Amino acid sequence: MTVFELLLPAFVASLILTGIHAYLGVHVVERGVIFVDLSLAQIAAFGTTVAYLLGYDLHATGSYVCSLAFTFLGAAVFAFLRVHRKTRIPQEAIIGIAYAVAAALSILVMSKATQETGHLKEMLIGNILSVGWPEILKTAVLYSLVGAFHFVFRRRFLLISMNLAEAERRGWNVRYWDFLFYVSFGFVVTSSVAIAGVLLVFCFLIVPSVAAMLFSERLSVRLAIGWSMGAVVSALGVALSFQLDLPTGAAIVATFGAALVLLAVVRVLVRRRHLA
Amino acid sequence: MNHRILRCCVIGSACALVAAGVLEAKLRVVSTLQDFAAIAQAIGGDRVDTFALAKGYQDPHYVDAKPSLVLHLSRADLLIVAGLELEIGYLPPLIDQSRNSKIHPGNAAYLDASIGCEILSIPTQKITRAMGDVHPSGNPHYWTDPENGRIIARTIAAKLAAIDPKGTETYRENLSAFDTTLDAKLVEWQVKFKPFAGTKVVTFHDSWPNFAKHFGLEIVGNVEPKPGIPPTPSHTLEIINRIQAQHVPVILVEPYFDTKTPKSIAARTGATVVTLYPSVGGIPEIKTYFDLFDTDLDLLVRALGGVS
Repeated sequence: MTVFELLLPAFVASLILTGIHAYLGVHVVERGVIFVDLSLAQIAAFGTTVAYLLGYDLHATGSYVCSLAFTFLGAAVFAFLRVHRKTRIPQEAIIGIAYAVAAALSILVMSKATQETGHLKEMLIGNILSVGWPEILKTAVLYSLVGAFHFVFRRRFLLISMNLAEAERRGWNVRYWDFLFYVSFGFVVTSSVAIAGVLLVFCFLIVPSVAAMLFSERLSVRLAIGWSMGAVVSALGVALSFQLDLPTGAAIVATFGAALVLLAVVRVLVRRRHLA
Repeated sequence: MNHRILRCCVIGSACALVAAGVLEAKLRVVSTLQDFAAIAQAIGGDRVDTFALAKGYQDPHYVDAKPSLVLHLSRADLLIVAGLELEIGYLPPLIDQSRNSKIHPGNAAYLDASIGCEILSIPTQKITRAMGDVHPSGNPHYWTDPENGRIIARTIAAKLAAIDPKGTETYRENLSAFDTTLDAKLVEWQVKFKPFAGTKVVTFHDSWPNFAKHFGLEIVGNVEPKPGIPPTPSHTLEIINRIQAQHVPVILVEPYFDTKTPKSIAARTGATVVTLYPSVGGIPEIKTYFDLFDTDLDLLVRALGGVS
């Protein structure tokens, strides 16, 4: 096997992850629910551990279905407990609590397990090198479906994310649309965390979207910047991990961080020139 | 009348306490690994109660602290550890919390089972943090060689006799029974595994050098480039190419690691992933030190049957 054959699946997987996450990231950043993916991923992981304890293999269909069911439950909680008006409890607090409790419950469940207890650690760090072509194909189909769903209802989702007051003025059922948003999001996160680990998925989701906000307000420009950045940084990260012999997932995350700093510097320089 | 009832009660409870005292007189042996607990039980027989901090299906490097562990340590008459820094990640604070000074390292009730055993991969160069989770005193998974098991049993028998001289005779008899069984088993295992001697294997973690040496397996690489750090692309590539070039039939994985990475390597090379149990208690059927090798060799022979 050559280097190319080993790294190609990892790189293609990164591109597919970038495609859907850079888009969903725009929503997540606009809504200010930055940690929702960590939280849903952790709830999905909790679902996996429960399925595992019920006797399903960790990487089998049964545990996937169970983790999806738990994710939908999480989606419902996030949609219906959007800012609690009477008490002013922010949604981010609920997301954080869900994360902590789901993480603790997975630890408790895995403490009763007798095999593959290293799974929780593996899920956090991930090993994108272990992704195979069948998994990539399945994921690509799934993400295309979620992408199509978001494209069809883009007006609804975008207005609710960017201008909630206007959406409510029009009399839309915001909770219902929120539930659909988090369910579709849960579909994506459940699969992507299984491939790339929590850390890397968080980066794919948030960093391109934040980087794009440095340069533009317009959605189309932001998506273009996000997608290009995701693709370039993934390629660079994968290449660096091979050149410097570093674990691939962590190398991509670090490259994302460096790229963001670089773009921030570029923005400052560009602004200066404009003012001068 | 009332006085008589009271007196009966007092005498009755005193008798109960004495009876309980007699029953409780068993030596409380706590070990880090279930393997040592199993051997100590075989040697100690009815005179000891054993408890293992790390169950056989858990990663022996990291055990989540639970209140019950401290409780067991606080009452322990003997603590048996693997040593060689295997338990350095969790045991020292537990010993401190137990407030049981007898079981502190160096004290009378602390037993390092590695003493006298054959220890492999003792580093010859200076250890640095950059080498990952490397054990400076050598590979701490030495109990996977049954000849080391014999030495461990002797060490434990001597320690038990020192702590509990009244049981010396029992311990000597049980040790000789253990030796006899081991001798018979060694022949049985030798015969069973002989056709597969020289088989090349890749292991996930570096837990098997002693096992491999005894049974004649050749370990050509570990999936983890450094123990405890996720594999890098060039290392993964090297392992894949080695498996293909040398036709390595199996990848051995300890039960506590996620099988995702080894399975993906297996899918690319045609090797088979085999979960092999490094300790007693890895599955409920492995109850004694002898069961451990019976089970592991069965698993290996079954996995190799299709390819040899």
